[in-house]
Amino acid sequence: MIVAEAKNLTEIGKTIAPYGRILVLGCGTCVTVCGAGGEREVALLHDALRLMDMKAGNGKHVFLECTLKRQCDPEFLDVLEEKAANVDAVLSLGCGIGVQAVAERLPDLPVLPGVNTSFLGMAKEWGVWDERCAACGDCRLDETAGICPITRCTKGILNGPCAGTKNGRCEVSKEMDCAWVLIYQRLENMRQLETMRRYYPPRNFRAIPRPKRVLSKINAAGGGHE
Amino acid sequence: MYSSLNSKSQDVNGAARRPHTDHSFIPPCQAKCPLQMDIREYVDLAAQGKVMEALQVIRSGNPFPSICAHVCTHPCEEACRRTQVDSPVSIRALKRFAVEFGGDRMVLAEAETTRPEKVAIVGSGPGGLACAYYLRKLGYPVTIFEAHAEMGGMLRVGIPQYRLPRAVVDTEVQRLISMGAEIRTNTRVMSLDLLFDMGYKAVFVTIGAHQGLRMGIEGEESPGVLDGATLLREVNLGLKPSLGQRVVVVGGGNVAIDAARTALRLGIPSVDILYRRSRKEMPADETEIKEALEEGVNIQYLVAPVNIKRANGDLCVTCVRMELGEPDARGRRQPVPIEGSEFTMKVDTLVSAIGQAPQMPGGFGIRIGRGSTIQVDPLTLTTNRLGVFAGGDAVTGPATVVEALAAGRQAAHRIDDYLQHKYPRPVSTNQPVMTGELDQQTIELVRKIGRFEPLYLPVEDRTRDFKPVESVFDWESAVNEARRCLRCGVGAEILFQDKCASCLNCVRVCPYHVPYIDMAGTIIIPPDQCQACGICVAECPARAIVMRKPRERRHIADELDHIVKTAAQSKARPLLIGFLCQYGLFGTGTLAGLWRSGKAGIWIVPVLCTSKVEAHHMLRPFEMGVEGVFVAGCGEQCSRENTDHWVQQRIHKVRKLLAQIGIEPERLQAFVSDKNDGRRLREELERFTEQVSSLCLASILKQEVRN
Repeated sequence: MIVAEAKNLTEIGKTIAPYGRILVLGCGTCVTVCGAGGEREVALLHDALRLMDMKAGNGKHVFLECTLKRQCDPEFLDVLEEKAANVDAVLSLGCGIGVQAVAERLPDLPVLPGVNTSFLGMAKEWGVWDERCAACGDCRLDETAGICPITRCTKGILNGPCAGTKNGRCEVSKEMDCAWVLIYQRLENMRQLETMRRYYPPRNFRAIPRPKRVLSKINAAGGGHE
Repeated sequence: MYSSLNSKSQDVNGAARRPHTDHSFIPPCQAKCPLQMDIREYVDLAAQGKVMEALQVIRSGNPFPSICAHVCTHPCEEACRRTQVDSPVSIRALKRFAVEFGGDRMVLAEAETTRPEKVAIVGSGPGGLACAYYLRKLGYPVTIFEAHAEMGGMLRVGIPQYRLPRAVVDTEVQRLISMGAEIRTNTRVMSLDLLFDMGYKAVFVTIGAHQGLRMGIEGEESPGVLDGATLLREVNLGLKPSLGQRVVVVGGGNVAIDAARTALRLGIPSVDILYRRSRKEMPADETEIKEALEEGVNIQYLVAPVNIKRANGDLCVTCVRMELGEPDARGRRQPVPIEGSEFTMKVDTLVSAIGQAPQMPGGFGIRIGRGSTIQVDPLTLTTNRLGVFAGGDAVTGPATVVEALAAGRQAAHRIDDYLQHKYPRPVSTNQPVMTGELDQQTIELVRKIGRFEPLYLPVEDRTRDFKPVESVFDWESAVNEARRCLRCGVGAEILFQDKCASCLNCVRVCPYHVPYIDMAGTIIIPPDQCQACGICVAECPARAIVMRKPRERRHIADELDHIVKTAAQSKARPLLIGFLCQYGLFGTGTLAGLWRSGKAGIWIVPVLCTSKVEAHHMLRPFEMGVEGVFVAGCGEQCSRENTDHWVQQRIHKVRKLLAQIGIEPERLQAFVSDKNDGRRLREELERFTEQVSSLCLASILKQEVRN
């Protein structure tokens, strides 16, 4: 799942400064789950922005709020026609995808990001999120015992561990597990240690042209709504 | 807040109908109460020290709360789910607290006569009084006929004064008189025809069950043998029967215990109770048995008299020992005599208290059923005679005060239906009753708090006279006791399933591990396990979870709005707003002076647990020009787990926002109160006030420099 973090209010304050009526737009999927842009955060940000406005003494902004089920699917954006009808800008608390999807839908309106989209990850416990996937498009998890060295190793090396590992921790931080030690231990548990002996050639980044697209259909007549 | 109780449409039993957004369950205590009283509500109000409001809730469901507060057999406490955790909430004692501290004696009752049809009530026991009360409320002229010189039926002649002081009954009777009920004491009704001839359009027969049952053994008519009801009646009417030195009471019900304890108070040195089964089967109230034993009553179990003889001035009672045999149809094990175990006791008086039956004058012409009780339709309480209704012990056989009150209320509404030619509307409620046991895991995670008991008169002082044995809760114990309520059926629910992002926050934050993920991956908050702490409501990022009662959903926001509006008019500076746990602290009153005596303008938003205060609640006062905000929880006294942790989490979050906005984060503080005296809180608050004052001054200076 996509994990995002709230942007600093000062930064948001600067980006919204030129506009009067602003729609704070939440997203009910990933950013709700990671507590960055769901309905609760929209309401809190709304209150915080109003307070900031009052503190600055100008009070020129008017904020509206709305939370969509998911910003990254065009069909869910239909309500924006009405919600964003009389606003000068949209402050989207969706991830980077959401911001772009909304911008695509509203060609004449500035759509500003309200969160920093951080990574693809999972919850460790309440309030703690860890990165797990780099969306590299070339998954090797079968060879690394289900542990991704690209995201979980600081260096992202494919043939680890490096010399910086100590007592199972990374030299970068004593709090951080060495991904390659984890991989080793898991392989040992599964009695597949011989996979460690293999050499993994460097990834070919050129093979992954951007922007990527996934096609799951063929071009044929009929189907869903056009 | 409670005006809605009166204004909203009411169902046939006078209970308020709930709005359709209310998804709460009927708690087991309320379901078990014959009067269906809103126990959870008034216990919660008592926990906040709001005795007046608690009394208002009690009075809306009970015509004579002071009487119930003394003698109710509290079936609610048997149903209380707290029993599964430690022991049930002392609901009856809390009601007593609410009626005494809330001033039930002072409540004025008025009624206007709006209907022409006169109604006669035969018998002034709890059923008759309740029926009269509700008929007066419905606007009917009412006359109560009482055979004895004093009103109250069993309340007066059956229940000893050490359990129910006369003054309590007197107050209620006076209140009925002031409501315009006509009272005819010393008037034994012998014929119902006469009543109809006198112009009464309907009659309610509640003559009670005063006739002692016979034991059916030889020598029962000997002098020195009397029945329990007669003994209690004589003593209650001021007579002093001479019982000799040795009294033995036969029976195991409340009347037997009452008779034995009354005998003790008459100065009888040796009082025994003979009961044919064991203590486990004894139908008398457990606390009554305990108190009787404390006072020195000797209870002999598995013993029954078989023969009584008068010889040489003694009453020779031959008894036989019993053993318990097979259970009968009701599941009680039947006593079986042990052959050859006979023994003889020499006593002065034998009181037989093995049960009572109604004694109906022949002229009533009402059909009698099993055990000489009146046969009625259970829904309408109608008898075989047109216009004659019956209820109370006369119908059920000896039962409880609260059941009689419920019958009286039911009769009043049915008589109203009858006189207005309406079909009785069936009592229908779409509100489900909370059933189900607590899970073992929930039980383990709920904080154990032992039951608080009101003070009892020391044993040595009890038996001297008929002074009341139990005293009222003191303020602090009552509040602490009321907080033990688990608030069954008003917990959190995922109201907006479409909003739920399945983020699992509720699963992770619940201190009681109540929410779970079902096989389909849906998150479920089982209502019978939820402890209504509200933490998941405040932590749900999609705001999909709400409390089941609509009033609780907007409670803090509404209170905050109200307080800020009031505070804006005050001139005291700096202006501080505090979210204070309203349980305990407020309840025991120690915080009342906090903001009044403070130097600053301190305004309090009362909250029912600080873990319900959300981040935006803490932020909003700043927008309204408030200079400092604090949250004060009840700390160690909290009946829940982990509340302070969640306050800290939200404070941390809001402080970060404040810093980014350019407001000093120190203007938001959390305090934890110490045990009850509030001294530490006062000191911390003073320090906070000074801090905020200096921050205000600094920001003014900064502004001037900038200018």
